[in-house]
Amino acid sequence: MARYDVITIGGGPAGLTAGLYTSRAGLKSLLLERGALGGQMVNAMLVENYPGFPEGIAGSELGSLMHQQAVRYGLEVATAEAIDISQEQPCYSISTTEGSLEASAVIIAAGSEYRKLEVTGEERLSGHGVSYCATCDGFFFRNREVAVVGGGDTAITDALELSQHASKVYVIHRRDQLRAGKALQERAFAHPKLEFIWDTVVEEVSGDKVLEELKLRHVKTGQQSNLKVNGVFVAVGLMPNSRSFFNILELDDFGYIVTDEMMATSAPGIFAAGDIRRNSPRQIAAAVGDGVAAAMSAFKYIQEQGNGAKLRSP
Amino acid sequence: MSKIVQITDENFEEEVLNSDLPTEVDFWAPWCGPCQMVIPIYEKLSEEYEGRFKFCMINVDENQRTAVKYQIMSIPMQKYFANGENVDEILGAVPEQTIRAMVEDILKRFPADETGRLKVLLTSWVEHNQKHAEKFNKWVEKSNNLEDNPIYNSVLQAAQELKKANEQLSQVLMQLPG
Repeated sequence: MARYDVITIGGGPAGLTAGLYTSRAGLKSLLLERGALGGQMVNAMLVENYPGFPEGIAGSELGSLMHQQAVRYGLEVATAEAIDISQEQPCYSISTTEGSLEASAVIIAAGSEYRKLEVTGEERLSGHGVSYCATCDGFFFRNREVAVVGGGDTAITDALELSQHASKVYVIHRRDQLRAGKALQERAFAHPKLEFIWDTVVEEVSGDKVLEELKLRHVKTGQQSNLKVNGVFVAVGLMPNSRSFFNILELDDFGYIVTDEMMATSAPGIFAAGDIRRNSPRQIAAAVGDGVAAAMSAFKYIQEQGNGAKLRSP
Repeated sequence: MSKIVQITDENFEEEVLNSDLPTEVDFWAPWCGPCQMVIPIYEKLSEEYEGRFKFCMINVDENQRTAVKYQIMSIPMQKYFANGENVDEILGAVPEQTIRAMVEDILKRFPADETGRLKVLLTSWVEHNQKHAEKFNKWVEKSNNLEDNPIYNSVLQAAQELKKANEQLSQVLMQLPG
């Protein structure tokens, strides 16, 4: 079984930064990513709030640069998904889709993913009319009718963005008022292309090869109805990717990992960084900071355990 | 050097539908971040599989006719073609091993050479026959007083002939190279 000083789970900004720091510190380091490196920032066309890039930078480019920098100092990167983690003194065993691994310390930076509606037809029609990213897929709905599900900032931002392409944008929300900020709400209510469907949930998405119709239910009256749309954009929030860790770590009610200010979790030697952490500001710069703190804490932990390789200060 | 072929609405038919090799087409756009993350994987694979598998890219911004024809609603979308037909697809930015597994699978399902194609045909033929033989056996198990049934006896005779023929096909299959 391959043995590392530190295994970092997740290849977004928090994980790539943690990997950069642990490998520079001379620790034998591995980073696991189940999909494409870069995390959620690759969806951002232009990142304008990450310091050092006054003109902004494409999220995918920033991700690629972080990757290049991280592997310069010996960080290994593997494609695998962590399934379970268990303590086997004096280290942790991580079972992955590609086999088992061992590490003295673990940094969890697995981020979050879009929450799904969890209704019939959603998975089958994903990519064929069901989307979770308006910036990515809005282009394909030029002069067509679409719906956005949700009532938060993301949902309303998506609806306004989609109105640039689509001929009509329905906003379906399960309450009778929006959670989105005042300014966004005012813009949304004034927009001629937006139509609000209140107190309503989506019960099914249907269509032969592509999405054709949504089955809706009014939550107060129970009345059902159908809505013909070409696209539905799901913006009902995020879900932390913490399922694999729930049996060993303390999570909050929403599944986010509870840490202290140095990213230590309830299990000694396991640290968490980025969006997966409770109270994370969910910003690239914040994730990077978390990654640094988690790496330093892991370094200190291994030093105290006395089972790391020849260490030099990070 | 990347061997990716740039596709347009104009050359799609010639380069993809009429391609002699199984072909992958990556529907992408410059504004799509996840698309940028998978391009290096395709560049690498296009070199590795040169002469066996064709890798193509089509910019959906500039080639909307093809994007509409294939009902592209989300990118990156990678469509796989063999013998002029769209036979499979991968949605989203996925890791290299997922793409590699798909390419290997397509190569197995749609071999380019005559012998390879015959092998695929024979394999499915033999499997098909075996499945039906099993179904017939199950039917026999559940039925009563078969000895006196003339229809059963003629089917049994035919089934035995088929079994022999199937064994012959399997032998041919084993003798095929590769």
